[in-house]
Amino acid sequence: MTFHEFISDHLGKIILEILVMTSLSVILLTTGTQSGVIVLLLVILLPIGITVYVIDFIKCRSHLKELENIMSGLDQKYLFIECIPQPRTAYERRLFSLMRASYKSMLGAVSDARSAGREYREYIESWVHEIKSPITAAKLISHSLEAEAGRRLTQELIQIEAHVERALFYARAESPEQDFIIREVSLEEIVSKTIETYRTLLMQSNMRIETENLNHQIYTDIKWACFILGQLLQNAARYKKLSSVELQDSLGESEVCQEIPHASKNDVCVINISAISDARFVVLTVSDNGIGIPPHEMPRVFDRGFTGSNGRSRGGSTGMGLYLCRKLSNVLNIDLQITSVWQEGTQVTLSFPAKANLTKM
Amino acid sequence: MQKIMIIEDDKAVREELSLLLENEGYHPIPVTAFHNITQQAAREMPDLILLDLGLPEQDGLSLCADLRRSSDTPIIFVTSHDSTADELAALSMGGDDYITKPYNIPLLLTRIKVVLRRSSPKITADSPEYNGLKLNPAKGTATANGHTAELTRNEIQIVAHLIAHAGEIVSRADLIEALWDNKIYIDDNTLSVNITRLRSKLDELGLPDFIKTRRGLGYQI
Repeated sequence: MTFHEFISDHLGKIILEILVMTSLSVILLTTGTQSGVIVLLLVILLPIGITVYVIDFIKCRSHLKELENIMSGLDQKYLFIECIPQPRTAYERRLFSLMRASYKSMLGAVSDARSAGREYREYIESWVHEIKSPITAAKLISHSLEAEAGRRLTQELIQIEAHVERALFYARAESPEQDFIIREVSLEEIVSKTIETYRTLLMQSNMRIETENLNHQIYTDIKWACFILGQLLQNAARYKKLSSVELQDSLGESEVCQEIPHASKNDVCVINISAISDARFVVLTVSDNGIGIPPHEMPRVFDRGFTGSNGRSRGGSTGMGLYLCRKLSNVLNIDLQITSVWQEGTQVTLSFPAKANLTKM
Repeated sequence: MQKIMIIEDDKAVREELSLLLENEGYHPIPVTAFHNITQQAAREMPDLILLDLGLPEQDGLSLCADLRRSSDTPIIFVTSHDSTADELAALSMGGDDYITKPYNIPLLLTRIKVVLRRSSPKITADSPEYNGLKLNPAKGTATANGHTAELTRNEIQIVAHLIAHAGEIVSRADLIEALWDNKIYIDDNTLSVNITRLRSKLDELGLPDFIKTRRGLGYQI
């Protein structure tokens, strides 16, 4: 609190006091008191008044300072009211109890919102587990169907499964008590598990996957890491360069055919998965030779719900994949970077901690 | 015929799974009463148990512990709860493998095959042979008519798969599946290139028509 602010708060009182003094002096003067006596009176009263205000200002300022210090030292700012000393004056006590009542009600609202959030999350988790049984049954049924229908149904079921999986990890990433276990796993295991999981999709997209130099041990949660890698593989398959036949398939109306780069007949869609390590990190690189990301969209690819021009042209994009990747990798201490050359391909690097970094977790 | 016991409370999954396993040449034993599973298992003596983790009467983990007390039958856990903690718990209870729903069917069948092979002492021929061609996967070579040719990993897998299905028509999709099973993640074009190279190598070994093309269907030896 500056002196200026203090004065402006007390301006009314000060003006009143000056008026009182002036009118007193005028009355005394007109009733015959000697002017010397009045000057003496003012010389005595004025310093007293000023001193009172200065002391008041200093007290006020130090009190505010104390409160501000308490506030800045608090981790949970909303606990402020619980941590400050009891006020002395009756007026302050009344203000204090009003603030307290508001705090109590806010606390109730927050805990209601929290438990509603938690219940919703729990429901999502249990729903995801429930829905997996019927999906499994449907997959088994589609396996026994006639080949073409079965293949197409399986494709759709895989899409459903991918959406369900994202919902599960969305709920997990939001939850404060995230259930992951950091332990030593081989990168090779993560990669081959993930490829297994998305194998039908990748095979049907006619992708070739090259894996090199994956013989590294990393510290991470295998489920979460597989999910992140799975999103990258799905993206690579979704945004591959289409062959001319596939182009006609996917764009029956073919309005934008010319704009989309497509592979010539002998071009192969390749995903390359490789790793290098230094003392502190194992860097996994997933690169594809797909359609890439336009440079002006690069800054937004991790935004929640951002689909971009690629997402619009291919359809079925949710804008959640990379958002979740970034979110989960932040939790797991994985550095996630993406680079892309428009119409040439995309490269994503994941830097895993190579040593158990227990202090940070 | 190998017996596979299916312990799964979801009726649709249980029935479809039985059907699938039957079509694959196994003898499925679906369990419908969940209170005396250990006795049922002791009576039926299955070669493999597919065990769901979330069961109505007793949860899968403690059931697994009970089963382990009386037998060494391999157990594959099937579950929709896919947290790392669940998986670790399942494997430490003596499960042989752990698959999360919704599994993809070729993967499930592969896992079943692997676990059954691991548990049965029979040794499969590690150097397959057919029509004068002898394959040596360990050395990466193929021998015929006294000549030896070096094959790549992909080529060996292709020949091995064709020999394992000698006489049958193997579609390109089946071959790609088989290669992916062995962690060779190739696409259609690459398969064509591999087959062409393989044929020219077999040609040099004096087996010009070893792999026949069945137009529109696949390959056959």
